[in-house]
Amino acid sequence: MADAILVIVEQREGKLNRVSWEALTAGQALAAETGWILEAAVAGSGVTTLAHEVAGKKVAKVYALESAKLEPYTPDAFAAVLKQFIGSKQPRLVLMPHTYQVRDFVPKLATAMERTAISDCIGYKKDGDKLLFTRQMFQGKLAADVSFACDVPWFVTFQNGAFRADKVEAGAAAAPVETVNLKIDEGVVRNKPQEVFKEAKQAVDLTQAEIIVSVGRGIKEQKNIELAKQLAEALGGELAASRPICDSGWLPMDRQIGSSGQTVAPKLYLALGISGAIQHIVGMKGARTIIAINKDSEAPIFEIADYAVVGNLFDIVPPLIEEVKKARAGG
Amino acid sequence: MLVFREPLPNIERPQMPADVVIVGGGPAGMACALRLSQLMDQHNAKNPDAQLSRENIYVLEKAREIGQHCLSGALLDPRSMRELLPGFEKEAPLDSEVTKEAVYFLTEKGKFKFPITPPPLRDHGNYVISLNRFVKWLGAKVEETGITIFTGFAGSELLLDGDRVAGVRTDDKGVDKQNQPKSNFEPGYDLQAKVVILAEGTRGSLTQQLIARFGLDHDCNPQTYGQGIKELWEVPAGRIASGEVVYTLGWPLTTNEYGGAWIYGGKNHVVSLGFVVGLDYPDPRLDPQRVLQEFKKHPLVARLLDGGKMIRYGAKSLPYGGWWSIPPVAGNGWMILGDSAGFLNSQRLKGIHLAIKSGMLAAETVFEALKKDDFSAASLSDFQRRVESSWIKDELWKVRNFHQGFEHGFWRGMINAGLQQFTGGRGLRNRYPSTAGYQHLKKLAALPADGGDAANLIGPVRGDGKLTFDKLTDLYHSGTKHEEDQPAHLVIHDTDVCNTRCIKEFGSPCQNFCPANVYEMVDDATQPNGKRISLNPSNCVHCKTCDIADPYQIITWVPPEGGGGPNYDGM
Amino acid sequence: MKILVCMKQVPQKDAPLKLNESSTWIREDVSYEVNEPDAFALEEALRQKEKHSGEVVVITAGPARAQQVLREALAKGADRAIHLEDNAFVGLDASNTARAFAAAIQDEKFDLIFTGLQSDDYGYAQTGVVLAELLGWPHATIIMQIEKTDGGIRVKRELEAGYFQFVDMPLPALLTIQSGINKLRYATLIGIKQAKNKPLRKVTLAEVQSAMGANMQKIERLYIPQKTKNTEFLEGPSAEVAKKLVEKLRNEVRVL
Repeated sequence: MADAILVIVEQREGKLNRVSWEALTAGQALAAETGWILEAAVAGSGVTTLAHEVAGKKVAKVYALESAKLEPYTPDAFAAVLKQFIGSKQPRLVLMPHTYQVRDFVPKLATAMERTAISDCIGYKKDGDKLLFTRQMFQGKLAADVSFACDVPWFVTFQNGAFRADKVEAGAAAAPVETVNLKIDEGVVRNKPQEVFKEAKQAVDLTQAEIIVSVGRGIKEQKNIELAKQLAEALGGELAASRPICDSGWLPMDRQIGSSGQTVAPKLYLALGISGAIQHIVGMKGARTIIAINKDSEAPIFEIADYAVVGNLFDIVPPLIEEVKKARAGG
Repeated sequence: MLVFREPLPNIERPQMPADVVIVGGGPAGMACALRLSQLMDQHNAKNPDAQLSRENIYVLEKAREIGQHCLSGALLDPRSMRELLPGFEKEAPLDSEVTKEAVYFLTEKGKFKFPITPPPLRDHGNYVISLNRFVKWLGAKVEETGITIFTGFAGSELLLDGDRVAGVRTDDKGVDKQNQPKSNFEPGYDLQAKVVILAEGTRGSLTQQLIARFGLDHDCNPQTYGQGIKELWEVPAGRIASGEVVYTLGWPLTTNEYGGAWIYGGKNHVVSLGFVVGLDYPDPRLDPQRVLQEFKKHPLVARLLDGGKMIRYGAKSLPYGGWWSIPPVAGNGWMILGDSAGFLNSQRLKGIHLAIKSGMLAAETVFEALKKDDFSAASLSDFQRRVESSWIKDELWKVRNFHQGFEHGFWRGMINAGLQQFTGGRGLRNRYPSTAGYQHLKKLAALPADGGDAANLIGPVRGDGKLTFDKLTDLYHSGTKHEEDQPAHLVIHDTDVCNTRCIKEFGSPCQNFCPANVYEMVDDATQPNGKRISLNPSNCVHCKTCDIADPYQIITWVPPEGGGGPNYDGM
Repeated sequence: MKILVCMKQVPQKDAPLKLNESSTWIREDVSYEVNEPDAFALEEALRQKEKHSGEVVVITAGPARAQQVLREALAKGADRAIHLEDNAFVGLDASNTARAFAAAIQDEKFDLIFTGLQSDDYGYAQTGVVLAELLGWPHATIIMQIEKTDGGIRVKRELEAGYFQFVDMPLPALLTIQSGINKLRYATLIGIKQAKNKPLRKVTLAEVQSAMGANMQKIERLYIPQKTKNTEFLEGPSAEVAKKLVEKLRNEVRVL
């Protein structure tokens, strides 16, 4: 088989998630970089329609990997099916988004195939003819360029937001879709998952939040936190704070960011009224994008911000909430 | 609402019997443990049928790791280490031998070098060390002997039985901000000990309890203290030689303040520099951290540090009242060592060697006591006798009036020092009195509004981020961490004094003398002066300055939950 | 219940990190501590032992300094410790680390193996899952709760976006444990004293080498991420600034 990149997209309850498109964008970029052909696969039960959706993008071929035992998700089933398929196709590179589900089975799959996975990558580079994958280490304090020292296939998972879902190229024509029926033997699947359910989280895990709206002393009074909360909700993010806010009891301690609280590296960190003392900065400077709103033009937070607004947060946040809501609604 | 730490009442505590409990794993405590172990080994070799056991000998260290709270310049006089471990130089982590010394008197832009280094400041034969690394090494040796060092455990209360010290209570763990037990609450242990050896370092909290309980200080001069504030820097090669020692006097201090700076060249281009400010200055607005930043601006220092990187910061008080401030050091079931007792040579600015020697002498006393199983005052006062007939007394006797000579200013102090040099320490009379530092504080009403001569020592530093730093940035480099959800361990006995009197009379000097931004006056419309005292206890670097310097003496520092504090790695 | 907890010693969370000469790893002159998720894994194992009796064994692979992690675990109540001691263990990839563990425990019969969900230094989240595959055991990741059932265990798995799922599994099984699921206990004085006498088995690199291979991945370069931070100041009346921000959020940050 010609050198190929295989992107395995992820579906939940019959829908492809956004990170799948990001993985496809990554695949397209790598295909252009290496000259390898790009193929995609979706695994599940009754996923042919989804395969056709993927086929609308610029990709050479899409596979629908079918087995009744793939629903509901278990690592045993997914690893078994993908091992068969990848074993037969032998792509050079297998790409996946770094979701909770992928984390759950990819190391198993790679090990079963006597290979390894470089996971949670934020990008890639070419060094001569060597492909390097970049990932964050030490909670974002350092970055590493990692290479494979084994045979293909190489497994790589990409971090949420490392590539842009909206930048995935459409195909000139629909790509061919092949349904592959795979067999999973009795006794292979050992876990029995129950129904998925939603629950109010007992404690907040800010390290998993993609978007964080954080308040500092500039919020002035406890009742003003409501404003930040609305912004966080509008963005679909979490509320956090610098130490003085938590010390005063205005927010619980598990929302504290900084050297004595959580260290986070979200996609977006919005700092409202935070001056940027080093104790706070070390907890969030790994964020991919930092937006700071502060009245003091000399606030140290501006040194690490991508977008800075010198102004009164009480003037800016209300219209911001409105604009965000509009954009979310599809404006 | 500020809730202060105190041992929980009506709690059943686990009891643990002990022969010896050493509170504090610094140079004094470790030297004591090591010497005791040596004596026991010698004894056990000769008495196979009457072996002494190390099973019930414990060292309590409040830091998470050995050495983590140890901070000093430091220069080690090897005299006592050579007695404890002959040949120690071959394996101890010493930076370098002192190769070069200079003493400068600074003015704002200029400097005057003393043509001859005054004898007390001559350091040939001494070593530049990192006390943190040194104590780590010493601690490893103690552990090898089988003595258990409990790290992350503080001595929070003395257990008393009439006039006998019967043991130590360790800190309650898992107590929340309201002083209520959390789900992982662990009560402090009651260590029932035959003897409690207090080696807590400067202004020991149990030592203070002991002194108060038994009135141990009624015959002594009040102890007087300085605050040592230090930064560790990496500088470009060639700026300073390893083993080069510099002392400075004068600028930025005026003749009203006592203090001076040190600069020691370590190895691998690491420089230790810092300022000692006597905690007996008159202007309550003085900020020692600012003094250090001002000092660095002097061309002598700025040139040294240019292009370098500050890698660590810390502060600690030091007792330099000298011989007349030392209380009785042994009693019924107790002993006091090192800085806790006040064994520091204020003229030479050295105390580590004395701490080590005091630990060794204490071990000798305890060893005899263990053999006789007699830990009464009569038996333990053997330690007092040993100290008084040792070179500790010889050394400290000669400088017994040194710091007191400066009570009335710099020039009087220099004259007194000169006189004392020729009279074996006597000077004008055998015992100079002293007053506690906080009593020198003048009220704001009596001081020029802008600070007068001391204007540049007043006010928080903004810092340029390269040579000078604001307090929070400096503090970040102390690696200080505490369990956040715990009661405040800076016990203020009457916060009304802070909010109604101190703010007007002295301008809340706690905000200034604390090197760690623990104390803050925050806006509060309900208070008569619009502000109230607020604490950031988890910033605390355990220097004890607040306990020492607050003008109303209403602050008591107690150990926070064990394991918390600064991380003086390399200091 | 015989439970193995795999633990790792990592640089302290706020330790200042410096690159080594070849920029392929950090200089080791920093303070170390137990990987926080592993501390929660240990806590969960100790709670299971308290509920169902049994034995908790802790294992780590690392230099001599890593023993501290095992000592602390023993002080908290673990019964035995295994130390794969060698400087070389620091540079192994997840696959090799898992192979080393598997070799070290081949004569043991554990019911459960816990690991933390990922390490604070590498952050791969792989070692546990790889180990499960090598042992041929079922596994589940990011576990919040474990209950014993007739057929084995029922675990609560954390999913994205506030979703959870219960999964029934047979034993033996491997679980990677979520951080923060319970309050960590303190070691007591008695615990620390008793820890000194608990068995600590040392395993050399040579003893497990045959189970390992060459690393399958390599850190070519470690570096401080360059913040090509050109701070863009957004100016204008508030309504306009709000619009500009949203435009950035949509097109540059891609969260809308």
